[in-house]
Amino acid sequence: MLKPATRPVRRTQRRQQTLAGYALLAPSLVGVLGFLLAPVVIVIVLSLFDWKLLATPEFVGLANYRELLGDGEVWHSFLVTGYYVLICVPGTTILSLLLALLVDRKLRGMKYFRALLVIPWMATPVAMGLVWAWIFDPGQGALNQFLGIFGVNGPAWLSSELLAMPSVAAVHIWQFAGYNMLFFLAGLQNIPASLREASSLDGASPVAHFFGITLPLLRPTLLFVLITNVIGSFQAFDTIFVMTEGGPGDSTEVATYLIYDEAFRKFDFGYAATISVLLFAVILAVTVAQFAYFERRTTYDQS
Amino acid sequence: MSRPRLSVSLLCYGVLLIGCLLAVFPYLLTVLTAFKGPGQLSETMPWEPGLPPSTAAFDRLFASGFGGYLISSTLVTAGITAGQVVFAVLAAYAFARLSFPGRDALFWVYLSTLMVPPVVTMIPLYLMMQKLGLVDTWAGLMLPTMLGTPYAIFLLRQFFRSIPADLEDAARIDGAGRVRTLLSIVLPLSRPILVTVTTLAVVANWNSFLWPLIITSSEDKRLLPLGIALFKGEVGVDYNAVMAGSLIALVPLLVLFVFFQRFIVRSVAVTGLK
Repeated sequence: MLKPATRPVRRTQRRQQTLAGYALLAPSLVGVLGFLLAPVVIVIVLSLFDWKLLATPEFVGLANYRELLGDGEVWHSFLVTGYYVLICVPGTTILSLLLALLVDRKLRGMKYFRALLVIPWMATPVAMGLVWAWIFDPGQGALNQFLGIFGVNGPAWLSSELLAMPSVAAVHIWQFAGYNMLFFLAGLQNIPASLREASSLDGASPVAHFFGITLPLLRPTLLFVLITNVIGSFQAFDTIFVMTEGGPGDSTEVATYLIYDEAFRKFDFGYAATISVLLFAVILAVTVAQFAYFERRTTYDQS
Repeated sequence: MSRPRLSVSLLCYGVLLIGCLLAVFPYLLTVLTAFKGPGQLSETMPWEPGLPPSTAAFDRLFASGFGGYLISSTLVTAGITAGQVVFAVLAAYAFARLSFPGRDALFWVYLSTLMVPPVVTMIPLYLMMQKLGLVDTWAGLMLPTMLGTPYAIFLLRQFFRSIPADLEDAARIDGAGRVRTLLSIVLPLSRPILVTVTTLAVVANWNSFLWPLIITSSEDKRLLPLGIALFKGEVGVDYNAVMAGSLIALVPLLVLFVFFQRFIVRSVAVTGLK
């Protein structure tokens, strides 16, 4: 008796849900498909064109990519980006893990320490880039004034080709160590206390406990922190824009800066798009590699 | 047993104190430098306050049109954030509670866009805005970031799914429609995550630099980060004024952080991983 009656009702319900679902999604569909996904497709198409400001776009096939292969400036900028990532990612990850271990202790006033350590993450990158440039100023800057107290004559941090990149990277680490600490803290607090008690009963040293139990259990957090940091530091732009503008020489000219320069200063859209495709491919490859590595390690351990 | 523990605790406090000092030192320096007069800047150490405090740097800053950037930044941040949160809530609710064909595939498309670097989309977006005639307009500045924020949608969806469906069913039996259920049952229960998503959006929009730099050119649409960056270039490095500008940019975020710190610290840590 019931079945024939409910079927049409269910069908209209389902149609209503579909309609409601797409109605609710509509604005974000425009945003995600139109302004995030479509641009990726367009940038790949653009990379096949020779398109300079005011000139008519001309299809050139893979010519941009051929030019890219022989372009020393592009390769240099990717090496510089790699160098930046190699300082920032381990620096931020290790420091944030150490901080998390510290603030995981049950001491009085710990929540204030946690909050203070997260504050750099709220900084406006442009504003803080300028503040740090002022700290690094060779004459009046706080860092060299401080070193001067000990009789040390500090270098010109940002105008030295050797020191500019580590200095800029230090600002990145400063900004994100406390923020990433929160993720490690959450991971640490998810580890059952019974495991700690068990290993201290077994007489395991704190170091052995950390490498044997804590670190393996933190692996999902570690993966998350590594991936977000790699993606983030590949995209560094604001701080470098205000602190060094890619200089001195081209020692801090990261890929994003080069893309900006080609597109919006030299108005060479086709070539800038080609460098963008390369950057995107590199980020994608590195991210996939990290996933694969962690997956393999995880399944290996379980078998 | 208790003695080594005490020394370990003291060591922890010591390290944390140094860490916190390093974390807030640039903020401290911003405040101190912003309130120094021109003479005080060269006479004092960077970490010494200039006495008496001088507001000369702020006067110079506002004389060069900084007040306008402040107003523009506030309005644009409020507008984009409101749009982002409303549209993200709608999308997240659809993903969490409604079933319709293509839902899961679409959700994966949304998530995968998290990997796209903004600098890669800049050029096509600029050309799209050019085609639409929106270069150097408020709409061009706000639209691309206003409609879809996958990260916020993701966080909200996770939270909505954790709310027991029974609560909503009960409301529906009492005769409440979908919208009423969302507004009177789901949203009040979602306050922590809504606060977090809103704060993340405010921070990102208030600090946004690259897109405003590219899409706007006229003075009246200049936003705070760009205003500060240009102030450095236009006047040589007037560190006093640059610090005054940086201070103005930092204060609203700090106030926000002080108010919502406990929500943020908790929900960033918890929801980011799931």
